[in-house]
Amino acid sequence: MKSVQLQASELNLDEVVEKYRTVVSFKVKKSLGTQTPDWEDVVNEVMTQVIEKVKKGEFRGESSIGTFIYTITSRRIVDFIRQKTKVLKGIPEPAVLPDPCDDAEKRERARVLAEAIKGLKPKFKEVLDLYYYQELSRDEVAQRLGISPRRVSERLNYAQKLLRKVIKQ
Amino acid sequence: MKKCKFEDQIDSYLLNKLEGEDKDIFEEHYFNCPSCFKKMEERDDLVTAIKSRGAWIFKEEPAPVRKALVPSFERVYSYFTPRQWATVAISAAVLLVAVFAILPQFRGRAPQFYLGENEVVRGESLSLISPIIDVKTAPSFFEWRQLGQDVEYKIFIYNEKLLWTATTKETRIAVPEDIKLKMVPGYKYSWQVRAFSPKGALIAVSSRVQFEIKGTE
Repeated sequence: MKSVQLQASELNLDEVVEKYRTVVSFKVKKSLGTQTPDWEDVVNEVMTQVIEKVKKGEFRGESSIGTFIYTITSRRIVDFIRQKTKVLKGIPEPAVLPDPCDDAEKRERARVLAEAIKGLKPKFKEVLDLYYYQELSRDEVAQRLGISPRRVSERLNYAQKLLRKVIKQ
Repeated sequence: MKKCKFEDQIDSYLLNKLEGEDKDIFEEHYFNCPSCFKKMEERDDLVTAIKSRGAWIFKEEPAPVRKALVPSFERVYSYFTPRQWATVAISAAVLLVAVFAILPQFRGRAPQFYLGENEVVRGESLSLISPIIDVKTAPSFFEWRQLGQDVEYKIFIYNEKLLWTATTKETRIAVPEDIKLKMVPGYKYSWQVRAFSPKGALIAVSSRVQFEIKGTE
């Protein structure tokens, strides 16, 4: 594990923004869902806050920059949800169907991966089906297939290795 | 490379099975661990693909062999009702018995066609035994296979024209000495036997066999 432990004086803000935008985006999308059209605004606000706080000297190196940004991100998400709840109070929620692959690039990746998974041997497909699609625990999958939990992990890992190969081709 | 202890929580986090403090700790961790974050991004693609297209990916597909055989069997089976199938089976069995058990018994008596010298005769098979190849001297006997009881045989011996003919109920006949003397070395002869029923009806004609008397050297 390689932790990011930088002192406030060593920080290059451009690098920080570039490096953490993806991580912050991931956390925001995971918390709000990609169907929330404002998720990108939230990410921009978080990154702006990070820059401002660092410039104001609020990052003193007591924690890692990662933890510092994580705290800002979490708070901003909580604020956003509170704000939305107030605005929407009394107004019926629009029926938004969750779409896990909202952006085109991610959708294309999902399509390619789905094709690759479909082409896997049945013993790998069934493990992926039970574990990720039906969301059974590792032990439940093992019991269902009559194999050890360790074997389930091995198959999951090997399936991912095979998929990585297929995707790279 | 040492595995990060948080790696095992990636799936739980992506499948929303991580809650409360555990979730917060894991999230803070991936803000600090590029390796875990990279692995999580990759795993997230997999989970997204499976969650969005799982119904298509894991759709039950019948095995190709069963797919090919079962419907065709069902289609054939559905042509008839079970009672009709039973009738078909019995008819097939009767037909098989007729073809393989009953018909061969009539085989010997079945009318057949044999080609004579200048005619096509309907009758039973009459085989000649001797002589059927070239001989050194004029044969004393002519012999053929028996066709049945009380059958009368008529033998014809030819050179260029009919040399001798005789009738017998035996399956061999001795050639008279005066005829034997007419059969000389260096010439070709042929013979044929016709069979008649006790009522005098022609029932079989043998093929006409040719032989040459080579003479003694």
